[in-house]
Amino acid sequence: MRSLVLLLSLLLTAAPFGLLGEETRQVSLKVISDWLDPSQNLLHIQAVGATSTLHYVWGSLGPPAVLLVATNTPNSTLSVNWSLLISSEPDGGLMVLPKESIQFSSALVFTRLFEFDSTNTSDAAAKPPGKSYPPYSLADFSWDNITDSLDPATLSATFRGHPIHDPTGAFANGSLAFRVQAFSRSGRPAQPPRLLHTADTCQLEVDLVGVSPRGNRSLFGLEVATLGHGPDCPSVQEQRSIDDEYAPAVFQLDQLLWGSLPSGFMQWRPVAFSQKQGGRESAMPCQASSLYPTLAYLLPQSPIVRAFFGSQNYFCAFNLTFGASTGPGYWDQHYLSWSMLLGVGTPPVDALSSLVLGIVAVALGAPALMLLAGGVFLLLGRKWYSEYQPIN
Amino acid sequence: MSNCGHVSTVFAGLGQRLLPGVAVAVVSRSPVGPMEEEEEEARALLPGGPNEAGRGAPVTPPAPGALPALCDPSRLAHRLLVLLLMCFLGFGSYFCYDNPAALQTQVKRDMQVNTTKFMLLYAWYSWPNVVLCFFGGFLVDRVFGIRWGTIIFSCFVCVGQVVFALGGIFRAFWLMEFGRFVFGIGGESLAVAQNTYAVSWFKGKELNLVFGLQLSMARIGSTVNMNLMGWLYSKVEASLGSPGHTTLGVTLMIGGITCILSLVCALALAYLDQRAERILHKEQGKTGEVIKLTDVKDFSFPLWLIFIICVGYYVAVFPFIGLGKVFFTEKFGFSSQAASAINSIVYVISAPMSPVFGLLVDKTGKNIIWVLCAVVTTLASHMMLAFTLWNPWIAMCLLGLSYSLLACALWPMVAFVVPEHQLGTAYGFMQSIQNLGLAVISIIAGMILDTWGYLFLEVFFIACVSFSLLSVVLLYLVNRAQGGNLNYSARQREEIKLSHAE
Repeated sequence: MRSLVLLLSLLLTAAPFGLLGEETRQVSLKVISDWLDPSQNLLHIQAVGATSTLHYVWGSLGPPAVLLVATNTPNSTLSVNWSLLISSEPDGGLMVLPKESIQFSSALVFTRLFEFDSTNTSDAAAKPPGKSYPPYSLADFSWDNITDSLDPATLSATFRGHPIHDPTGAFANGSLAFRVQAFSRSGRPAQPPRLLHTADTCQLEVDLVGVSPRGNRSLFGLEVATLGHGPDCPSVQEQRSIDDEYAPAVFQLDQLLWGSLPSGFMQWRPVAFSQKQGGRESAMPCQASSLYPTLAYLLPQSPIVRAFFGSQNYFCAFNLTFGASTGPGYWDQHYLSWSMLLGVGTPPVDALSSLVLGIVAVALGAPALMLLAGGVFLLLGRKWYSEYQPIN
Repeated sequence: MSNCGHVSTVFAGLGQRLLPGVAVAVVSRSPVGPMEEEEEEARALLPGGPNEAGRGAPVTPPAPGALPALCDPSRLAHRLLVLLLMCFLGFGSYFCYDNPAALQTQVKRDMQVNTTKFMLLYAWYSWPNVVLCFFGGFLVDRVFGIRWGTIIFSCFVCVGQVVFALGGIFRAFWLMEFGRFVFGIGGESLAVAQNTYAVSWFKGKELNLVFGLQLSMARIGSTVNMNLMGWLYSKVEASLGSPGHTTLGVTLMIGGITCILSLVCALALAYLDQRAERILHKEQGKTGEVIKLTDVKDFSFPLWLIFIICVGYYVAVFPFIGLGKVFFTEKFGFSSQAASAINSIVYVISAPMSPVFGLLVDKTGKNIIWVLCAVVTTLASHMMLAFTLWNPWIAMCLLGLSYSLLACALWPMVAFVVPEHQLGTAYGFMQSIQNLGLAVISIIAGMILDTWGYLFLEVFFIACVSFSLLSVVLLYLVNRAQGGNLNYSARQREEIKLSHAE
């Protein structure tokens, strides 16, 4: 039954993409700065296709956040009103025009970095995974200038930050980085977990490097908030797959869908890595809690989200926890890396690679062919034999 | 009958790990029957020859000095005691062979090695046996004698396991590898010695049963290991306070107690065997194996095909079991205990099914068809594991069944294509190639897993089994074309035997 579903989903991906799917897009990355205070800026990724445009607006105004807006015209534009945006009432500071072209919009806010002490927890699935240290609020981080890290060749940019107040000096030699990358066509990066991306997606890689942990066996977690429609929250789907070719021994793909397809999605493999090479020996499990509704004032406020969506919003949040008390962890090399995709349309699904299909085809075909050929040979041989027998 | 009997003797010179169910398969040709038949078998078991005359002598009447049944070598009670010792003789080596598989996650985590290096632990076990399976019988017969041979091999197993454990305690992976190498030297040859003991004590008596029991004991050893070591590790972890290489080393050291137990059995057997020799004037057991490497050039094409079938098949079973535990936890979401249980099911099934399939193949003949069935079933089972999310118990039970069937149908075929005097060489060669295949494929499997994951690994195993399948088909065709005797039914074999007798 499950395999049938798998097969169906494979067929679905082979079918033409939904409303917004485009093979290739003209992708541009632009840093939009405040004229008055150039340290305040936004990263605008515009992916223009033949009949649609996707806008991703990343910003570190407040906690790191991203707006995701899909329009059904190649000519939509983003308008930023900085004086509104940095005011205490930022409503209307960000707009995508024309407004009626918007097909889908949502946002993600990365609100807090958690740290747990896993020393005395043997149960890997325990929630929370140990005694919690006070979390770092990402709204109180200072972020390096995004312009310096902008790389038009790879369509990527990095937000790198550390707490403004760091009394313990935990971030003295370390940082938390959000690396954003957009794609003009589909493909797969060389770095694990090698998520399949399309022109409709962009990738976020969260790296925590060199930060001194507060315990010997500290686990880190990330709180992610998003917009809900009404009081209900979108759900995290855990898809089991047979294919771990691109992320060895990871047979699961998690995704958050904001509505019925095609809509926006966030997709990740439940794995993080404790070493830069991202091999199997450094793979840590990544556990996601389910989404729970939360009140806006309980979360650090994101001016970007408020500027686009206004102040009347339902928020949902969920936590990602990286690693377990046993196995590789952040403590190995003070390194943690986790990746996700953000996009619009049908989430990409891995298909069996042609190499796998080729090998299986040969492996099953060769003995069958041999049997066939041999059978024919034996039959003909016998016939020949019986025909010539009477001569004797 | 004599052919069959000789086959049994040769089988005694082979390791059981790689030869599951064979002894039973062959010996069960004459299922427990009237006493005369067994006596006849006893004589048939002896390869003729002047210097062998003493060995087959009927059991000496009980010594006049009335010994209690348990201490009297000629009584059943005493033989049962010996049987118990024989069974536990192999227990340690079977228990410890699959220690790495049972502790895969722990070994990789605590020693900080990737899967490729982890699989070297299996490869190092196989390397010495590429050569040793030619000499195991020779060493037992000519150099050490059965008693000292058994003790020496047991010592190798013990020392190997201790060194393996020390490697964990000192966090030296090379030392662990070396331990497995030493363990490998002892392990396979110990199985040869164990079989020789069995033939020497039970030929013409309860030999079927004894081989069966020894095999079951081997499987029980593997199964207990799979299901016990993880638990043991967590207990050691609890008492030492934290997981780590020391915990791993201590756990393995505790596992090594089974090897000490085996060594004690070896010593006890040596004493009892010597005592029996004194009381019953019984000779030391011999494998009767004759190995002549120059025979290789005379091996026929079907025999080479049988070798290929054997290698292609077993490399898709043993390395898979070695790597299976994590596969079941990650892909199917099994708990650690459940994964251990399912990973040992192949062994669990083969324990009772080997005799059944042995009888089945004996009664029906048609070995190639049975081998074909087994290989196709294995292929199907690997396909299920690779491409579906169906409950893996189905696939693993199929694998267990086909594994038992293959052993019963494949190994006896060698005896049909090789003249009697070359049987020892043929079987030695078959085991050697198999060990070579296992060593190489173990390493390759680890590399594939690290780079491309389990799906690709399964596809690789499918390719191996399919290669084996290709050879089975070819063997069928060649046999058919040459009018060979491999696929005769049991009745045809009887008729031929009768016509030869006339």
